[in-house]
Amino acid sequence: MVRRLIGYLLTLWIVLTANFLLPRWLPGDPLSALLDPTSASYVYDAEVRAALAAYYGLDRPLLAQYGHYLSGALTGDLGRSIRLNRPVSGLIGAHLPWTLLLTLTALSLAAVLGLLGGALAGWRRGSSADKVLVTLSVVISNAPVYFVGTLLLIVFGARLRWLPLAGGRTPFATYPSLLDAARDIGRHLVLPALTLTLATMGSQFLLVRNSMVTVLGEDFMLVARAKGLSSGRLKWVHALRNALLPFVAHLAAHAGLVITGAVFIETLFNYPGMGRLIFEAVGARDYPVLQGAFLAVSTVVLGANLLADWVNQRLDPRLRHV
Amino acid sequence: MSALLSVRDLHVHFPAVGEHQTPAAAATRAVDGISFDLRAGETLAIVGETGSGKTTIGRALLGLHPPASVQGSIRLQGEELVGLDETGWRAVRWQRIAMAVQSAGTAFDPVYRIAAQIAEPLRVHLHLSAREADARAMALARRLGLTSRHLRAYPHQLSGGEKQRAMLAMALSCEPEVLIADEPTSGQDVLSRAQLVALLQAICCEQGTSLLLISHDLAAVAQLTERVVVLYAGKLIETGDAAEILASPRHPYTWGLLNAYPTMTTARDLRAIRGSLPDPSNPPMGCRFHPRCTQAVARCRVEEPLLARSTGVASGGERLIACHLGGLQALLEATALRKAFRANGQIGRRPADDGVEAVRDVDLVVWEGEVVAVVGETGSGKTTLGRLLVGQLVPDAGQVRFEAQDLFGLSTAARKRCYRRIQFIAQDPFDAISPRLSVGKVVREPLEVQGIGTDDERQARAREALDAVSLPTDEGFLGRRAHTLSGGQLQRVAIARALVLDPKLLVADEPVSMLDASEQARVINLLKDIQSARGMGLLIISHDLALVRKIADRILVMQQGRIVEAGPAGRVISAPQHAYTRALLGAAPAFDW
Repeated sequence: MVRRLIGYLLTLWIVLTANFLLPRWLPGDPLSALLDPTSASYVYDAEVRAALAAYYGLDRPLLAQYGHYLSGALTGDLGRSIRLNRPVSGLIGAHLPWTLLLTLTALSLAAVLGLLGGALAGWRRGSSADKVLVTLSVVISNAPVYFVGTLLLIVFGARLRWLPLAGGRTPFATYPSLLDAARDIGRHLVLPALTLTLATMGSQFLLVRNSMVTVLGEDFMLVARAKGLSSGRLKWVHALRNALLPFVAHLAAHAGLVITGAVFIETLFNYPGMGRLIFEAVGARDYPVLQGAFLAVSTVVLGANLLADWVNQRLDPRLRHV
Repeated sequence: MSALLSVRDLHVHFPAVGEHQTPAAAATRAVDGISFDLRAGETLAIVGETGSGKTTIGRALLGLHPPASVQGSIRLQGEELVGLDETGWRAVRWQRIAMAVQSAGTAFDPVYRIAAQIAEPLRVHLHLSAREADARAMALARRLGLTSRHLRAYPHQLSGGEKQRAMLAMALSCEPEVLIADEPTSGQDVLSRAQLVALLQAICCEQGTSLLLISHDLAAVAQLTERVVVLYAGKLIETGDAAEILASPRHPYTWGLLNAYPTMTTARDLRAIRGSLPDPSNPPMGCRFHPRCTQAVARCRVEEPLLARSTGVASGGERLIACHLGGLQALLEATALRKAFRANGQIGRRPADDGVEAVRDVDLVVWEGEVVAVVGETGSGKTTLGRLLVGQLVPDAGQVRFEAQDLFGLSTAARKRCYRRIQFIAQDPFDAISPRLSVGKVVREPLEVQGIGTDDERQARAREALDAVSLPTDEGFLGRRAHTLSGGQLQRVAIARALVLDPKLLVADEPVSMLDASEQARVINLLKDIQSARGMGLLIISHDLALVRKIADRILVMQQGRIVEAGPAGRVISAPQHAYTRALLGAAPAFDW
């Protein structure tokens, strides 16, 4: 586990470095628009230009910039947003909880549904129920999220008016109690979370189903059957327990994909999470925000994988005693 | 004694995978009409090659196949099991019939500890508390040589042999009426094998469990069980008392199976039964063994033999075999053979000194597909015996029967036809082959003498025979004069000449004694390969015990015209009974280590 942890720290360092280098390899820099004489936003005052470059540290050698960047990143100073002129860490702090709420809700919902559906379909592989579920999951997981999201918006938001159309909460609302707050936030969460669940559930289902089919073909399942165990015991205690191992690893690897999926959905539902922050920052070429958001998302994905590793070690004795 | 488990006409057919074939046409017939009984407290072995259907039977006894694929009857204490639903089977599985599977290495769920898996059926079936179940699992595992360390471990932490013992402990946990042990010892070293099976039998005896041992190793299980059932390609082909089957197998397949397994006393090189198991979805017509059988006749190809009481067994034990010919056939059988040579009459000699009795009361059998060696020193009469057998000499008394026909009682024409099927290879090829003839002519000659085929056919058969002895078949070689060949090449030509008539029996008199050591080894192995591939009988006459033991199934030792010792090659070499055999063995070249 210690070696694994070192591996993760190394990965984090690579992510940090890539995050530092990538924008600098791209043509142009955050200030190029301000410093370019042909650009509309060209700053004519030479002193102001120099002050700007000095402020963002672009006049210093690369290694010094790197050192400054690293120490900043480790102390939580991710620079300031060019567009909003506010600390990046503050912006992330305001947006990340919304995204975590959305993705964790969707991911756990997709995991539970995928596990149950996959276990049942795999157990009755080849049956008509299995075939219907497999077809359905392939169709749903391949439908574009903006299409599914728009459809849900039209039906439940615009037509039926059951649920709010946009946002993470009712604007300017004051909540008399925590319960009211939870209800309001929950109502706003339903549609985006449902869209994201549908988008990720298919692959979870297919993975569990196929792992089940593989496990059911193993010798130990035949022995378990020969032992006269009940089908419930065979299904849940032996088959699903073993099918869980690839599933957990997949779930963590999937976390990154879920967060990128959230970018579209948050934009569509005008949800105040990281996706919208990133979307708006791209439009405004707000590099410090992009860098910070990238770093935050990478850290979350790394953390998810670390957690999955730990969980899998609990689940699979073969990983414990190597 | 009533049967505890009674299997009648059991069929297990698996439908074909793939949709364009009709299920009936391409179904895999893994088990095809098998019946046997397992008596209470008995140990019964089911023996067969991989793919013979033995594991399929084991699984059928636990209802692990899809119900539609199993037909016939399985009765446990009179209660029919075929047709039970899953709930019904669940009451049988492990409590009444348990199985230790062959693949113990992958038989345990990798995420649970061994102890929990052994205790699981105890808790499920006998509703024991966790502590009671653990204690019983522990006690059983201890008896099978496992410690608490093994029980606390996860499956991947145990060796293959340890998992096998744990598998047995798991299978015995509910004290079943029947234990099916599928290759229970394959992961154990030789020393542990016998111990483990003995231990298994002891535990079964205490628990009152009947043991059904499934194995591919006939020799090993026959010593451990009372009765044996031999399977071939889903069919039962021989069954009977274990010791008797081991001593005198009657079905050609059983005989081949026994010859194919190494034992400590096996001196000869092992060989497999020729050919391979048939495709179970498309088994051959008639007897399923006929494509590999050396004695198959026309009837074997069309009509399926039924299991019937074997006639060739002397003892009272019940022996059933499925063979149209009633089992292994004697290819050549000589009884009470005698031959004396008169000395050139010198005056004053007493009548008693008048002649030399070269062959005195010799009995000899060569079974189908068997290699028999007659060993003795010069002057022991072995060459005379050989010449009597191939008809070059007429015996003074006794009979020679070839394929059940008395050779000397036949008409000349019939005898000629018989001798076409017995070919002789002489000791000295320089002597036997005219040096001026071309190779092609030498090999073709027997066909010309017998008047078989056209010139082109003769040439083709000559080439085929030369190819079989690994000689060139081009025009240049066919045209070479015999005297330009080396001794080894010439002896191969002599073998080719013998093969060209497609004989059933080859009699070779000192076939390699004129050759140097490495050529000797090559030619003797060649003879063996040809014999195996063609399913011939081979009778080798030699003074060289060290050489013939490499290929002979049986060895006869001859001294002064008598057979003084006869037996399986391994026994004659490792435990010679007669002083003369020991002397021959002592004289054989050996390196001091």
